[in-house]
Amino acid sequence: MLSNRVPYIRGRAEELSFNLVRQLQEAGHQAEEMRIPFSWSPTERLIEEMVIARSLRLTNVDRVIALKFPAYLIPHDNQVIWLLHQFRQAYDLFDAGQSHIERSPRGEAIRAAIRAADEDAFRSARALYATPGAAKRLDRYHDLHAHVLFAPLNDPELFSGGDDGGFILAAGRVGHAERQGLLIEALAHAPGVRLRVAGPPDDAAMPGALQALAERCGVADRVIFDLRFLPREELAALVNECTASAYIPFDEDSVGYAMEAFQAGKPVITSTDSGGVLDIVQDGETGLVTAPRPETLGQAMARMIADRSRAACLGAAGRSLLAAHNITWPKALERLLG
Amino acid sequence: MTPQRIGLISSAVPLIFGGGRFIVEWLEEKLRDRGHSVETIYIPAVYDPDSVIEQMAAFRLMDLDPHFDRAITFRPPSHMVKHRRKVCWFIHHIRTFYDLWDSEYCDLPNTAQTRALRDTIWRADTAALASAHRLFTNSRVVADRLRRFNRLEGEVLYPPVMHPEAFRSEAYGDEIVCVCRMEGHKRQHLLVEAMRYVQTPVRLRLCGLASNPAYLGELHRTITQHNLAERATIEHRWISEEEKADRLARSLAAAYIPFDEDSYGYPTLEAAHAKRCTVTVSDSGGVPEFVEQGRNGLIVEPQPEALADAFDRLYRDRNGTITMGEAAEMRVRELGINWDAVIARLLS
Repeated sequence: MLSNRVPYIRGRAEELSFNLVRQLQEAGHQAEEMRIPFSWSPTERLIEEMVIARSLRLTNVDRVIALKFPAYLIPHDNQVIWLLHQFRQAYDLFDAGQSHIERSPRGEAIRAAIRAADEDAFRSARALYATPGAAKRLDRYHDLHAHVLFAPLNDPELFSGGDDGGFILAAGRVGHAERQGLLIEALAHAPGVRLRVAGPPDDAAMPGALQALAERCGVADRVIFDLRFLPREELAALVNECTASAYIPFDEDSVGYAMEAFQAGKPVITSTDSGGVLDIVQDGETGLVTAPRPETLGQAMARMIADRSRAACLGAAGRSLLAAHNITWPKALERLLG
Repeated sequence: MTPQRIGLISSAVPLIFGGGRFIVEWLEEKLRDRGHSVETIYIPAVYDPDSVIEQMAAFRLMDLDPHFDRAITFRPPSHMVKHRRKVCWFIHHIRTFYDLWDSEYCDLPNTAQTRALRDTIWRADTAALASAHRLFTNSRVVADRLRRFNRLEGEVLYPPVMHPEAFRSEAYGDEIVCVCRMEGHKRQHLLVEAMRYVQTPVRLRLCGLASNPAYLGELHRTITQHNLAERATIEHRWISEEEKADRLARSLAAAYIPFDEDSYGYPTLEAAHAKRCTVTVSDSGGVPEFVEQGRNGLIVEPQPEALADAFDRLYRDRNGTITMGEAAEMRVRELGINWDAVIARLLS
């Protein structure tokens, strides 16, 4: 199992690759994870990173499963790519003006090199799977039709659901792109609604900044912060107890938090620009989808709390949707090893 | 000492787990116990002449400086990485291009091209090792090769076992025990052969996994052919640390007779922690760095008859064997093989 690494950073992708290896082992295979250090700044560094991956060699395995750029550039005859996401600064984030790669002949050359190397790897892989967001970009930028493969929950049994405790949960990494600040502002438009923010902060300044924001908005008495990495059991307990889960990142591929909420029978509040999560959260069906503005988000939170039996219905629909997709590890392994 | 961010960087062949991994993983745990933030990075590598230079260059290009206060490297070509405070704990060269060059163990032809490749590797290795903040080896054998081929001085830093305290000594029995992977170059076949020639009721026990079923079959055939089943036992499976300690605690002595290894070998050290001396052979490489003839073990010719004599001697002179076992444990202390000493040097 090949992927990349930024030393000491552990997020969803790292959890997935770790779980994939464990699942392969439990299914009787010999599997090992190797994650190659990856740096993307300054932008010229990206060329070196590709040279590194292309220059490495690996033997003694029947199959390689590669998850991320540039690890899938390590040559192997029997490689399956499960693309969690592209190096988006060279693709959609560049188009959206949110890339660190500059708009110049030099930036264009770097982008062209990444896209050419990607194209080559994607076309020569034995099979190409992708998360829903990555699959859309493969279609758009490479005219490639990958099989969509969701990352299964590793511990669905923890998300058994439970009595609704009358609060909105915002779980996961706490950072600028995740926009927990927007949810705090939204609380000012949702009288009486309580919010719990739980997850590891991206930087040391984040906890203080969010607390100050809550005070400025006059909602500090209705927000509970738990800014740290939560063990799975603790996270699941919060999900099981909330009325609804709010997940409003700017354009992320990750759908894990929404899947956990659905597994627990809880609806999801998200926003129209949140990305991959919109594939499974539909407005009025399995949750509420609104514009990424404090007013609309506040209204959505207030609606969930005001009509908790309706929230439960939306959550139940989410759970059925998840069951219908049958997103399980045995299914995923069958495809990756097929 | 203030906690540091320490990267342990090594190369590996996926799914091969042996001494080259233990040294990394045990150090990781011991550094964590002392409060450091440790991240272990294994990069795949293949010692293939056609791509080895490219692979070395790839290691050289990796960007590790921002993440770690200190980078400790192990198996080649991990020593190629750049870091402002790089500490190399060099455990072997890519030997095909060094001491095995032009020997029967080298499958490269000696041509202008392969010589140029070898010289390039030497130069690159020398430059990368010379730029290290500290250069350690795991044995005198490797330090000697560094001096001979790279003209560099490496300080010998003997690797301890993970949990020395897990080993214990009970009543001395009548078994010679060998716990390690069963491989051609570990030469368990010589131990089995030796049992044909012993004169005393001494017994033999081999424990461990064989990666090659043919080699295991050969061992079993020898046992059957010469009616040795009563006195030679093979436990072919993964042996847990508890089982290992158990087997050693009631043994008479240990045997470890690899061909030309770079270090004394963890089996030698584990036996010593259990107050057991080790029988080894004259061409085992690094084992005699630990085993001193007649003081804490026996070093004999790599012949079944000579090994049989050694086994008989250990059986007959039980008091002498016990004395050598105790001396083996003392030898660990003499050589300073403990984690506190090792970590103090690695973090110096």
